[in-house]
Amino acid sequence: MKTSMFTNLARFCALAALVSFAPALQASGGKIVIKAGRVITQAGADIQNGVIVIENGRISAVGPDTKAPWDADVLEHPELVAFPGYVEAHSNRGMDRPNENIEVAPFLDVRDSIDPISFYFEDSLRAGVTTINIQQGNSCVIGGQGMIVKPFGITIEQMAVRTQSGIKVVAGLRPGASRATQAQALRRAFGDLRRYLEKLVQDTRDGKDSARREALFQGKDMDKDENKKGRAMEGSATWKVKDLEIVPRGEIDDKQEPLLRMIEGKLPVFLYCDSATSVGLALEVIRENGLAATTTLVLEGDSWKAADQIAAANLPVILSPNLVYTEREPVTGKEIQTFVPGVFDKKNVRFALQSLTPSAQSLWFQAATCVAWGLERKKALDAVTRTPAEILKLGKRVGSLEAGKDGNVLLLSGDPLAVKTSVQYVVLEGNLVYDRSKDVRVKHLLEGVEQNNAAPTGAQATDDGDDDHKKVPDEIQKKHDAGEKKDEPKKDEDKHDHGGKKD
Amino acid sequence: MNLSLIALLCCTAQTAQQPKTQGDAPRKNWVVSAERVYTAAGRSLEHGTVVVQGAKIGMVSSGSEDNGPETLACYAVTPGLVDASVRINSGALSVEQSREETPELRVTDTLSAYDIAWDAQAGSGVTCVLAAAPDLNVIGGLAAVLKTAGEPSIEKRTVKNDAVLRGAIGSQPSRGNHPAFGRPTDFYSRRPTTRMGVEWEWRKSFYEAAASRKDPARAFKGSTQVLAALDGKLTLDIQAWTTQDIRTAVFLKEELEKEPQLGGKPRLVIDAAAEAWKEPELLVRSHTSIVLPPFPEDGRTDDGAFMAWNTAALLVEQGVPIALSAHGDTSPAGRLSMQAGYAMQGGLDFDQALAAVTINPARMLGVEDRVGSLEVGKDADLVLWNGEPFQATSRVIGVIVDGALVLDPRTKQ
Repeated sequence: MKTSMFTNLARFCALAALVSFAPALQASGGKIVIKAGRVITQAGADIQNGVIVIENGRISAVGPDTKAPWDADVLEHPELVAFPGYVEAHSNRGMDRPNENIEVAPFLDVRDSIDPISFYFEDSLRAGVTTINIQQGNSCVIGGQGMIVKPFGITIEQMAVRTQSGIKVVAGLRPGASRATQAQALRRAFGDLRRYLEKLVQDTRDGKDSARREALFQGKDMDKDENKKGRAMEGSATWKVKDLEIVPRGEIDDKQEPLLRMIEGKLPVFLYCDSATSVGLALEVIRENGLAATTTLVLEGDSWKAADQIAAANLPVILSPNLVYTEREPVTGKEIQTFVPGVFDKKNVRFALQSLTPSAQSLWFQAATCVAWGLERKKALDAVTRTPAEILKLGKRVGSLEAGKDGNVLLLSGDPLAVKTSVQYVVLEGNLVYDRSKDVRVKHLLEGVEQNNAAPTGAQATDDGDDDHKKVPDEIQKKHDAGEKKDEPKKDEDKHDHGGKKD
Repeated sequence: MNLSLIALLCCTAQTAQQPKTQGDAPRKNWVVSAERVYTAAGRSLEHGTVVVQGAKIGMVSSGSEDNGPETLACYAVTPGLVDASVRINSGALSVEQSREETPELRVTDTLSAYDIAWDAQAGSGVTCVLAAAPDLNVIGGLAAVLKTAGEPSIEKRTVKNDAVLRGAIGSQPSRGNHPAFGRPTDFYSRRPTTRMGVEWEWRKSFYEAAASRKDPARAFKGSTQVLAALDGKLTLDIQAWTTQDIRTAVFLKEELEKEPQLGGKPRLVIDAAAEAWKEPELLVRSHTSIVLPPFPEDGRTDDGAFMAWNTAALLVEQGVPIALSAHGDTSPAGRLSMQAGYAMQGGLDFDQALAAVTINPARMLGVEDRVGSLEVGKDADLVLWNGEPFQATSRVIGVIVDGALVLDPRTKQ
């Protein structure tokens, strides 16, 4: 009885520490200095023996001779390589039972589906992915709104980088639909919005207050100025709803409001194409509804065959995780392979890559595959850092190591694209959130562990608890206390040194 | 009448001969010039040259050589990769399911040289493979070592027919079977239905085959092949994923050796031994070779087994001969060269990783005199790379099989 009370107390304390950790450190304005043998900034030349200073979660300086503030914690690893965190431009992982049934669901938000405890986020952190855009709904007509998160924290709020980061529109085929019904449903969704808004205008003219009553029923404060005011329809759609300004904003149904925001260019669009034939529909939807400036195409299958149209429309793209498209020559039956990023590179289309798997074939692997197929190394690295950051309108925050950007830094055991390289430390907004030497799971995967054969996939029973890696590593503190570098090189780090001779 | 018949016979004999003479006709000589020549035979060369003469390797030397249009330049050249568990077959159609043991059946009788899976293998740098029937039977039959390119004829591509006697221990051979009682009898109401039953089938086969030495009346279909395996004339290649199945295989081998009435000298290769890392000392003790399955992202493999990523490194350290396998996958993430890369992530060094996809599997399959390393007189199976082999940043850009250029590095860049 006594023991169990004690354990409960300990558990509560541990939980409290976890909950309070991330915001507390951010608020305290902690300074951290990272010294690495090589800093790959992804913004200009690499720096040998570089120093990165992070204050208040932001990088304040990067350079070879940058002075470290006297009161900063120091993470000094001359044997490691500093690299910006990878940016995942599009993912439909990390959620628990996301919506895929309602056809038109702009009112749904992935923040209600994201499962912070999902192994996906743990794997992402381990693989050095520090920014993830979660967008679900490839099997809808209009999916819900997405969210950009960092893979650390135990609540959605802690993880949030940006909420309502975009909305999924699907020109591809949802299961059970034909091309025609999918196209029709997509056109109808916009037609419905138009008819709905026109009816609102008419009702307001006629003095009907049903919309107002509905708004009050939904709990909106209709006396608030922003809800009272009307506003003319913005955006560059080929259609307009006249006199929308006479409708108080608050009276527009929450179910339709995200679609209106999308049309007005205030909500980025992730338009999913499953094949080249669906690109035509996608471009039509973009043209009709004036979405050209806010749309990113999410491509699957043979969509790359429409690369010319995509290039002409000047749209950025997020490529399928399968970088090499394989098809059969219809007459000879021989396999033809096409390296998809190469196609878009030739047409000067901006492209971002997606992870193939969350861990072993994460973004580094995809960039490496691009190099294997002849893409310039710089372009390959950009496609997993800078370009996705720009596509997500986070270009000023992530994607490179520059003063003013978020303090997201990876310390790698070698070149980012070498097969033996592993992520040793992850610093996220100035907090050390991952230390490989304390990662129990990676130890199990690498070295094996006596375990129950009947355990289900992914759920390896360990004594160390699920959130072990989320605890604050005391590395920084130790360094600070010792006042000197006393890191004996670890055994497996030695082994990792071999790397690629070519790199 | 008779004369014309003889003439006809001569004619057919001639046409049958024709392709063979074509195959033996002298081929173009290739000179492969590379910044790194990884021979898998003890030494690696910087700036080396491999000369292909006919279907064989004529010379391996340091220094570059320009032989005009017949020169193929690349960053690195290695021997053609060997996959000891390629798993290309005609699916269930390759398995005779009327019996649990079909040791006398040959997988080559069901293979098609026109299957495009071979092209994909060759294109990914795998030039020599062990093809076996799917492991639905306890003793599946005779597997063959084949080249993945060349004339579209299984006979001509065969390096070694009846290379190993293939079988399985574990849940796979009993999957789907159910006991005869309590239900209407059907095709699946047969034994074995458990792991124990599978093991019993193995032991029964060996004891019966041994008994047939003295009493020919006890011989059964395939007992000759089982005897050959017992005597070590035919390598035993047994699929066993989990520790318990690996143990069963090792103890079976030791029983065959120790039991006086058997008096065996079997050679054992355990395929897909995901959990070999758990008890490597058993494998050392019993001189067993291991073929590892593809590295799983989360450690979980078939049959509920868990494979740690340092398995290859650990086994090599203990002195267990290992080979890596991609189980037929040729995708960028799953190809055999990437499996070598993953093994390196787990701590294996480059030379050992190279051996594990070339000379080691060649030895296990008994074809090391022909393939598995770049040495003068061996088959001219070469892989040309655009970077350091086994890195994710490199790709196979050229392949030569038996001296013939299968993938041309000059056209595909």
